[in-house]
Amino acid sequence: MISFYFGRLMEIFPFFLKGLWMTSKIAFISLVTCTLIGFILGIFRSSDSTILKRVVGVYVAFVRGTPFVVQIFIVFFILPEWGIQLDAFTAALLAMAIMGSAFICEIVAGGINSIPRGQWEAATSSGLNGIQKLRLVIIPQAMKVILPPLVGQYVLLIKDTSVVSVIGIMELTRVGWVTVVRIPEGLMVFTLVGFLYFIISYPLILLSNYLEKRMAA
Amino acid sequence: MIEFKNVNKWFDKLHVLNDINLKIPKGEVLVICGPSGSGKSTLIRCINRLEKIQQGQIIVNDTPVHDKSTNLTKLRAEIGFVFQQFHLYPHMTVLQNVMLAPVNVKKLPKAKAEKIALEKLEQVGLTEKSAAYPAQLSGGQQQRVAIARGLVMSPEIMLFDEPTSALDPEMIGEVLDVMVNLVSEGMTMCVVTHEMGFAKKVADRVLFMDEGKIVEIGNPTDFFDNPQTDRAAEFISKILTH
Repeated sequence: MISFYFGRLMEIFPFFLKGLWMTSKIAFISLVTCTLIGFILGIFRSSDSTILKRVVGVYVAFVRGTPFVVQIFIVFFILPEWGIQLDAFTAALLAMAIMGSAFICEIVAGGINSIPRGQWEAATSSGLNGIQKLRLVIIPQAMKVILPPLVGQYVLLIKDTSVVSVIGIMELTRVGWVTVVRIPEGLMVFTLVGFLYFIISYPLILLSNYLEKRMAA
Repeated sequence: MIEFKNVNKWFDKLHVLNDINLKIPKGEVLVICGPSGSGKSTLIRCINRLEKIQQGQIIVNDTPVHDKSTNLTKLRAEIGFVFQQFHLYPHMTVLQNVMLAPVNVKKLPKAKAEKIALEKLEQVGLTEKSAAYPAQLSGGQQQRVAIARGLVMSPEIMLFDEPTSALDPEMIGEVLDVMVNLVSEGMTMCVVTHEMGFAKKVADRVLFMDEGKIVEIGNPTDFFDNPQTDRAAEFISKILTH
């Protein structure tokens, strides 16, 4: 019985590795773009400009208030109606970037807002310009507040990549679905899928816990 | 050197600066006092545009501070500002705190900026603390670093916003000593403080504010011994007995 299972496992495993590779690729590209866009939006959101604040606020509220599946459908099925045709992979990355950047924006804005007003004023009085103030004084201090939840958000984003399976991308979850229709060992298949997600998420969970402790000190 | 012309400022409905007219000549030491909420901090915060004004003009060295076209970087480099709560950058060492503006605003080479920064730290008596972080220093030491951070840009004007109010009594002296030394160098200084000893010793004039207005301005001896208004007399008796 066990050897039978093992044989099946060996048979399907290469297929799963391909799925894992696709998941990792989407996750990695998304984390980078979400972080970049999220930081820029977060800086806008915590700025003095009422217009920037409001615009980003509306964006964040919309993204946080709608399911990710719906957002993917809009990007993949509705945008083409307005003449923006995207292949599934690009659509998945775009949807991830939109969703993830909104969450990271809130984390970054929270971190920046936690820095006392006096730090801004001291930097202003020294003649630093806006970008220098952020780069040299505010962001380095805010990172203490930003990093632990940011890494936690990375874990969530990695798991959210499973949702892009709905537009046909052969990532880990989709591989699971496709396999399970062909072989009867459903439990084994999805245990394996879960295990592979866990392998990439768990180091980040540990990192987040570590950062939380270190930053609190 | 610094001139206020009919300056008005409101925080919502609160008239925090009410028609301020004031000339501070080069090299003058002006002490500003008054009850809390009288607008004295706001007054000096307008000089380097930490606060905006709604009416009137402030001119520093022929530069209208609140004009849109004013080069604020250049202006702020000429004005050092010392805060009540120090506001040192906690993630940087003492030396990095002091070097930050020369390197990033004046674009001096690191070696040169470090040399100047160390000179200023020596001036406030903290050379040996240059590698320490602000959290490792006492309040008095932190405030002296903050003064060095202001001096490092070689400003012509130093503004002090209650520099000793957040300090334990035994640390006030060391900060005031540093400030007295600055006076002897001919620095133009505006100091919001209730340290009457300091005012009597070094101030050229004392300005008394209440409810956003300049109530009295004059030399310290006259002001303390012979105040012209009841409001000032009441205030002086309160801070002397406290």
